[in-house]
Amino acid sequence: MEILKCDNIKKVYGSGDNQVKALDGINLSVEKGEFVAIVGASGSGKSTLLHILGGVDAPTEGQVMVDGTDISTMNRTQAAIFRRRKVGFVYQFYNLIPTLTVRRNIQMPLLLDKKKVNEEYFMQVVTSLGIEEKLDFLPSQLSGGQQQRTAIARSLLYRPALLLADEPTGNLDRKNGEEIVDLLKLSNRNLKQTIILITHDEKVALEADRIITIEDGHIIADRKRGDSYEKKR
Amino acid sequence: MRKRDNGFVWSFISKNRASSVSVMSAALIASLLLSLLCSFLYNIWVYDVESVVLEEGDWQARIIGEVSEEEWNQICSFGNIERAVAGEEAVEKLPQTVKVPDEAGEKVPVINLYFRHLHTIYQDMMLVSQKLGLESGRITFHYQLLSMYFIRIPGDDKPRMILPLYALVMLIVSFSLVIVIHNSFAVSMNAKVHQLGILASIGATPRQIRISLIEEAAALCMFPMLAGSLLGIGGGWGLIRMMSALAGQTTGRHDVVFRYHLLIFVLTVLVSMLTVLISAWIPAKKLAKMTPLEAIRGAEEMQLKKKKHSPVLFRLFGIEGELAGNALRAQKKALRTSTISLTLAFLGFAVMLSFFKLSDISTSYTYFARYQDVWDVMTTVKNVRIEDMGFAAALQEAVKEEGASSCVVYQKAEAVAQIPAERISAEVTGLGGVERLAGAQRIQDKGYLIQAQLVILDDAGFMEYCEEIGIVPRLDGAVVINHIWDSVNSNFRYPAYVPYVKEDGGSTILQGEDVLQEGDVLQEGEVNPAYGEQDETVCAEEKAALEIPVIGYTDREPALREEYEDYALVHVMPVSLWKTLSGSTGHGIRVEQNAYIRVLMNRDAQVLAAGESGNQVNTKVEGAITEQTDAKMRLERIEEIIMRKLTPEYDIVTENRVQEKESNDKMIGGYQWIIGVFCSLLAMIGIANVFSYTMGFMRVRRRECARYLSVGMTPASLKKMFRIEMFVIAGRPVLITLPLTVAVIMFMIRASYLNPAEFWQQAPYAPIAAFIAAVFGFVAIAYGIGGRKILRDSLVEALRNEAVM
Repeated sequence: MEILKCDNIKKVYGSGDNQVKALDGINLSVEKGEFVAIVGASGSGKSTLLHILGGVDAPTEGQVMVDGTDISTMNRTQAAIFRRRKVGFVYQFYNLIPTLTVRRNIQMPLLLDKKKVNEEYFMQVVTSLGIEEKLDFLPSQLSGGQQQRTAIARSLLYRPALLLADEPTGNLDRKNGEEIVDLLKLSNRNLKQTIILITHDEKVALEADRIITIEDGHIIADRKRGDSYEKKR
Repeated sequence: MRKRDNGFVWSFISKNRASSVSVMSAALIASLLLSLLCSFLYNIWVYDVESVVLEEGDWQARIIGEVSEEEWNQICSFGNIERAVAGEEAVEKLPQTVKVPDEAGEKVPVINLYFRHLHTIYQDMMLVSQKLGLESGRITFHYQLLSMYFIRIPGDDKPRMILPLYALVMLIVSFSLVIVIHNSFAVSMNAKVHQLGILASIGATPRQIRISLIEEAAALCMFPMLAGSLLGIGGGWGLIRMMSALAGQTTGRHDVVFRYHLLIFVLTVLVSMLTVLISAWIPAKKLAKMTPLEAIRGAEEMQLKKKKHSPVLFRLFGIEGELAGNALRAQKKALRTSTISLTLAFLGFAVMLSFFKLSDISTSYTYFARYQDVWDVMTTVKNVRIEDMGFAAALQEAVKEEGASSCVVYQKAEAVAQIPAERISAEVTGLGGVERLAGAQRIQDKGYLIQAQLVILDDAGFMEYCEEIGIVPRLDGAVVINHIWDSVNSNFRYPAYVPYVKEDGGSTILQGEDVLQEGDVLQEGEVNPAYGEQDETVCAEEKAALEIPVIGYTDREPALREEYEDYALVHVMPVSLWKTLSGSTGHGIRVEQNAYIRVLMNRDAQVLAAGESGNQVNTKVEGAITEQTDAKMRLERIEEIIMRKLTPEYDIVTENRVQEKESNDKMIGGYQWIIGVFCSLLAMIGIANVFSYTMGFMRVRRRECARYLSVGMTPASLKKMFRIEMFVIAGRPVLITLPLTVAVIMFMIRASYLNPAEFWQQAPYAPIAAFIAAVFGFVAIAYGIGGRKILRDSLVEALRNEAVM
């Protein structure tokens, strides 16, 4: 089942001489339950693509369908509600609300929707991420790895259609980085969670089912794990 | 390195234009308001000092009576005495504590003293007194003038609250303004810790960072502060000009000229500069506690040190409520100072307004309520004895032809009545006796010495009064106003009265006031020892007590514009009786220098004049203005008649009620204008502070809000969160201030003995509500501006900023 479909996505910043094409005709399709890694050099457009997929940014041209919904024409409110319900974000710098406890941070998307938290599922998620004892702590009282687990828990609690992770291991040491990737894999496998992950790290990318390489706003390679590298252009 | 610091400073200023403009405007507005307030209050103070000097002279302390040449030299040789000037003063102008020399006439010689350093004036005068062997009653101070320099002399029992109140409000407001600058600068500096971290990471020493911060502070604030201070002086000048134009014509006021002292300018700029320097120093101190990496990473972040919940806000408003509560808590230091500042400004504003409203109510009690129906034209005839005023009958006839219903000529005198103990009323005895109520002196078995005031009316006026109070008119005795203020069961504001004496006595024995000091009583005809045997110039008759026949008792005072002593037994008598009894000497009873003519118009004219006196506003009635002009013209005609009859033989001053009301209205108008300006300044200061705080608060929240949006918060939810914060920021000072203000007002009401209900009916609700609305309005504007900017910002940009950090 196709959960994500991008049709000729273009994103242009600036105008005239200062115009920069961040994305230039991206076509992409992701099946439900896939674990996709997007790799590319700095400035290649991978973060822009992730932001567009997450409804944080809108494409200049093209259409993005997530779980059957066209997100490219949404207004700000619709986009926010979409982010809250259909997408879970995991950022390099965790992006936790420093003034809220771990529990509240995780529950935030549900609370914004005024929905009751399913305590059983909540405990299942936090226990599987190993932060069940840190629920009443503030983010500043946690280590980097624990903060990233909290961010993952937050992104998973709403059972989103897509989990988008932007360099989730970029700010962690090797051991913590590996653990985070394992957790993502676990959620992909156990919860059938679709994951799109951006990384510089080839080793992390190799953990994904599919690796997409972006260069200058184009997808230059799209391969399954174990496939040989083949440039598209 | 120095050059690089400058480069950093200028690059930061140019790249953070919004933040720099905000700091510069805060510095400009705060120094402008500070300077305006200082110059305005300085001018008010100078004006008050000038008024006191014009009215009572510029002397600081006084010695009453003559001094010998040797004593004069001794006085002049005192180190702190700058100069001594010999002069004279009217006896009635001297305070009651002063001992007037026996030989004194209407004026007594005085030595006016001027000091180099006022703060030791009391001690120095005590030394002078000791050295010269002066009696305690021969020294007096210019209490009012000295109080203008914050010098309170022991024994000065008047409250003299206005200057300390001004000073207190001034201090509070200055502090509040200082916080405006500090807040605005601190927010900008806090946001800069990240950049300073980068500087530190590339090797800038703490000293270099401090210098760069101070350079930035100076570069940003120097010009706005100087410009603000100068604009404030200009504003002060404008205000004083407007005041002068508004109140210039009012009688009893002298010209207001704008004054300025260099010290105020220096002080204003210094206070502002110091604030900026301290505000610049704080992030440097903060930075010293962090590693460069910590500074680079998380300086701007709003952090909570401990886990906190906002259960009330969460329950009421959901997660937006909790986020709002936590955001405010994370900024609690800045919020606290802003709250304090706004609270102080609001408190100053509300207390000042309430204070002046209380004064208004109090004035209406002490003046208008009591005298509004008792006179239309008043004439003071100077230096005259009523018994010598043979014109009364002719004058009364002339003014009655012009529509006057009553014309009374009268003079007052001060005496002491000797009342036997058994004549004191049962009510007074029941309240603890005269000693308790009036502090009267009991002289063994002979009775009490009680202050007595004589009101000597012309014969026709006295007959008229007798008719009014229901006593058969006759001229062979006095009428006693037989009541005393029951100070046990009532206060001075709402006095209750009880009968003073039993109404069975046929006469009262009066004598000169000096007997009170000597502590002796006389029988009728007995010589008053106060005059002393050595004083051969005082004849035996003068030393004798005087028995006044009493023809009746009443509790109604004659309709005169007079206020009597609280515990005095007032005797109203006809001039013919006074002339017969007092003879040529007056028995030592001190008669006032001036006599008075009081004219009351007939009913129509009176109603008109009363209508204008404030309690009944009938200006809306058709034709009222014409009638008012008619009434004024009629009163002026009466004044003309009096002038024609009495001048040039007598030295007279005449006034009419309509004119006095007009003049008084004008003065009150000018006064209210000044108060209005002052209170508006206070309000502006409070609002400027909360506005600057809110703007600063919003500036540092770009990242925080981007984070909320990234996890799915809608713009509507974000706005909801802002609205909650707005109500907390604006509502908290209001909630704190209202009960505080009520407490202060209750204290003032209690001190002034006013009925609280009376104040609450007239309390200045409208301006206070307007201030509250303005506070909410300006916080909303700041949130509107900041919020729109946040929502307009690209979410990707905000998130990307974080990613590259």
